[in-house]
Amino acid sequence: MMRRLRPAIAPLDYTRRWSMRLWVGLVMFFLYAPLVALMVFSFNDSRRNIVWRGFTTKYYDKVMHNDMLMEALGNSLTIAFFTTIISLVLGGLAAVMLWRFRFPWKAAVEGAMALPIVVPEICFGVAMLIFFAQIGWPTDMPWPFSLGAITIAHVTFCFPFVAMVVRSRLASFNREEEEAAKDLGASEWQAFRDVLLPHMKPGLIAGALLAFTMSLDDFVITFFTSGPNTITFPVKVYSMVRFSVTPEVNAASTLLIVLTVIMTSVALYFQNRMVQSGKGPA
Amino acid sequence: MDKMSLLRDSIMGRRSLLKSLGAAAIGISFTGGLAACSKGGDKAAGGKEEPKLNFYNWDTYIGETTLDDFRGASGIDVNMSLFATNDELFAKLRAGNPGFDVIVPSNDFVERMVKAEMLMPLDHTKIPNFKNVGEAFKNVSYDPSRAYSMPYTWLTLGIGYRKSKVHAKPDSWKVLLDSDEYKGRIALLSEAGDLFRLAAKYKGHSVNGVTKEMMPELEAMLKKQKANVKAFHEDNGQDLLLSGEVDLVLEYNGDIAQIMKEDPDIDFVIPKEGSQFNSDNLAIPKGAPHPENAHAFINYLLDAEAGKKISETILYPTPNEAAKALMPAEYKNNPVIFPPADVLAKCEYAAYNPELQPLYEEAFTRIRAD
Amino acid sequence: MTGAGGQSWRTQKRVFATIATGPILWLLLFFIIPLAVLWAYSFGRNVGLTEIEISGTFANYAKAIEPLYLQIFGKSIAVAGLTTFICLIVGFPVALAITFATPKWKPWLLLGIMLPFWTNLLIRTYALMAVLRTEGYANQSLGWLWQLSSNARVVLGLQPLDAFEPLHLLYNNFAVVLGLVYVHLPFMVLPLYAALDRLDRSLIEASLDLGAGHFRTLLTIVAPLAAPGIISGVVITFVPALGAYLTPDLLGGTDSQMIANVIERQFKRANDWPFGSALSFMLMYATFIMIAWQAQRERKLMRTGIGPDVGARA
Repeated sequence: MMRRLRPAIAPLDYTRRWSMRLWVGLVMFFLYAPLVALMVFSFNDSRRNIVWRGFTTKYYDKVMHNDMLMEALGNSLTIAFFTTIISLVLGGLAAVMLWRFRFPWKAAVEGAMALPIVVPEICFGVAMLIFFAQIGWPTDMPWPFSLGAITIAHVTFCFPFVAMVVRSRLASFNREEEEAAKDLGASEWQAFRDVLLPHMKPGLIAGALLAFTMSLDDFVITFFTSGPNTITFPVKVYSMVRFSVTPEVNAASTLLIVLTVIMTSVALYFQNRMVQSGKGPA
Repeated sequence: MDKMSLLRDSIMGRRSLLKSLGAAAIGISFTGGLAACSKGGDKAAGGKEEPKLNFYNWDTYIGETTLDDFRGASGIDVNMSLFATNDELFAKLRAGNPGFDVIVPSNDFVERMVKAEMLMPLDHTKIPNFKNVGEAFKNVSYDPSRAYSMPYTWLTLGIGYRKSKVHAKPDSWKVLLDSDEYKGRIALLSEAGDLFRLAAKYKGHSVNGVTKEMMPELEAMLKKQKANVKAFHEDNGQDLLLSGEVDLVLEYNGDIAQIMKEDPDIDFVIPKEGSQFNSDNLAIPKGAPHPENAHAFINYLLDAEAGKKISETILYPTPNEAAKALMPAEYKNNPVIFPPADVLAKCEYAAYNPELQPLYEEAFTRIRAD
Repeated sequence: MTGAGGQSWRTQKRVFATIATGPILWLLLFFIIPLAVLWAYSFGRNVGLTEIEISGTFANYAKAIEPLYLQIFGKSIAVAGLTTFICLIVGFPVALAITFATPKWKPWLLLGIMLPFWTNLLIRTYALMAVLRTEGYANQSLGWLWQLSSNARVVLGLQPLDAFEPLHLLYNNFAVVLGLVYVHLPFMVLPLYAALDRLDRSLIEASLDLGAGHFRTLLTIVAPLAAPGIISGVVITFVPALGAYLTPDLLGGTDSQMIANVIERQFKRANDWPFGSALSFMLMYATFIMIAWQAQRERKLMRTGIGPDVGARA
């Protein structure tokens, strides 16, 4: 075991341990090796995904000119965006509710909250199909509203996940902090915003990531709640690969990954700068 | 491709069902199209339709420019959505048509949807290009005199194989269904109905001649054969074959024809016992908001030139004789895409059988669980 | 977690209403009501192709508890359990590493875990298949290593190894578990990270200073403190893994069907919605029983005074 040189400053610097680094490295390799292979094969000059036939960028060209794929991608990102926001609000509230209060039927509410997590996708998808058909949900609305049904369904299966993660986070909260804030004259809202919310933040971030991922990835429920004008990326991909995985699908995924990396990197860069400039004068 | 339902052929009508349920809570009673009928009806009555069409299709199952060409010719904007299996199409429309105008079900599903009153009868006067359709497809068992559907493509099940890895041409279902000759190198289509019907065919029966009494024997044979099978594939057998994962697959001729262009070591054979046809069809679901446009679109797809462009993209056999005539020889004379007449004579369409379908499904679940 | 603790809703009705209305209403409207319809179907029977008569029959449940389906249930639970266990073993150190990473690295590591999961599940599964195939990258790399060691033996004057036999990594239960771990790992890492992040580090330091090894500290200090996160991670991984259908479909062999595959077939191919509903609700009843059992257990613990989260409010 490595001798800790600066115990007062970094006693738990697990990331400095080579064994830890190796482990994280292996996990990352496990996660990324197939994806890297996928990216490489998006440049494969063959309609099939299997044998290397030479380098080409023609599938990127095809993707860029595949209006349907682009539309599907746009729809999926839009749905994921709104789903994440609504799920965060609902999931956060639900977590606080269950964590903070005692109320009649609490066990039933808790059970009901857990259900969207256990109900098989196909079962929920069919339930939503019947539901929207019965209430006569209009399927010919203009664009962002046409995604409403899908978004509602996504929020329903995403926000319990958010609630679950946030709640496990809240378990470590020391309620005296909130009490102290209130004793010092903070209103309920101020105490929530300035004391509880910061504590919930990692849980909320994790929950948001989960919700975004699940929404972006969902096929079954989306399929059953989509109307004639609302194709999403997974539905498109699912239909495409039924006719075998073409490099076009790989190219589209590669673009999606690259786009995400760029967007997140920019966000992280600015956040880091803000943190630094904020620290600067202090 | 055929999978169906656990259902008694009941004569109980919609009205008596509703009555039996009383004033049911939302959704407890639902009948295909009830909600959708009212939705579509008013627009159809209004005479001129808006220039729009919602097309529900399999992916890449259309010519690359067909939709644009149609817009150029008619001014109608086609919006294509996708499904991946007939089951999905059926499940999706079961609770009511959410607004699709043209759908592409396979033969047995045409039969099934007609029985479930989910399809709108076609007005043949609005589809003059029906004349382009080959004689063999003008009157078919699953849709007599084409009252509800127009043929789009057709296919035949058979054995795709890697020539260098087999001892002899695998021209019997025996190698797939009842032999350990190619142990661990076989992939079968995971469609319960198809497997049992082909097993019956191998035993010398018609694909529609399966009876309840035969089921245990067929199940035992497939259960025994499972040890020799590497995987049940979801209609992606051509990928398994091309990647060398298996050497023999149960697949459709059109799918194998596509990969034969990439790998000359692959071939396709329809076993000597005969096989099962499959055909995808154009149909208009009840409650379609734009039935006029739907007819115009179906007519356009049956056009010679448009049909040719479609066949060039998807390379499946076409029932459109006029379009076939325009295709190059390598397509027209390809014995895999268009097998010789004597082979085809032994192939049949699978009829929809509400009695047996649930038995197929359950037996297949047992086989897989074993 | 099922805090019997906490304040009574009566003490702050307005706050409670503000917080509770949204989630409860949403859940009722867009989940309970649609699902109630399917629940009713599970007591129904098919009449014709598209109609279902709610006849109050238990025939669907009787069929669902036949040995055939119970066996598939059992197998699915075993596969999902194994998947969850592996995810926990693999994911815990990663969550720990993220927790103790420098602020600069933390978001990148989180992103690194999440990024693969913004690729479509189906595409990821196909990517994994390309790796595991008989002629895939895994076998190619192994073959290359094999050749290398064979050559090395020749150099050392030993017999060369036999020709490399590619491993059969696809189309079996091993592939299913591997695929499920691949797909569900972030579901485990995220809640673990969320729980570990605000751990009282002084406890760990104390343990280390008092001479306990890292491993022992992990087991006796970190794990119990992170228990809520571990539980939610386990649940969040286990439950979707139990409901997985694509992975067994694509990676599994001839005997790899899981319960979700059977349920999916009822709703699609078999067109038997009542039976599909009954099978689905079997899963949900099981969950309810588990939750109730856990609540019961916690209440007991609470009563004996050693329960967690007794609540700071007296």
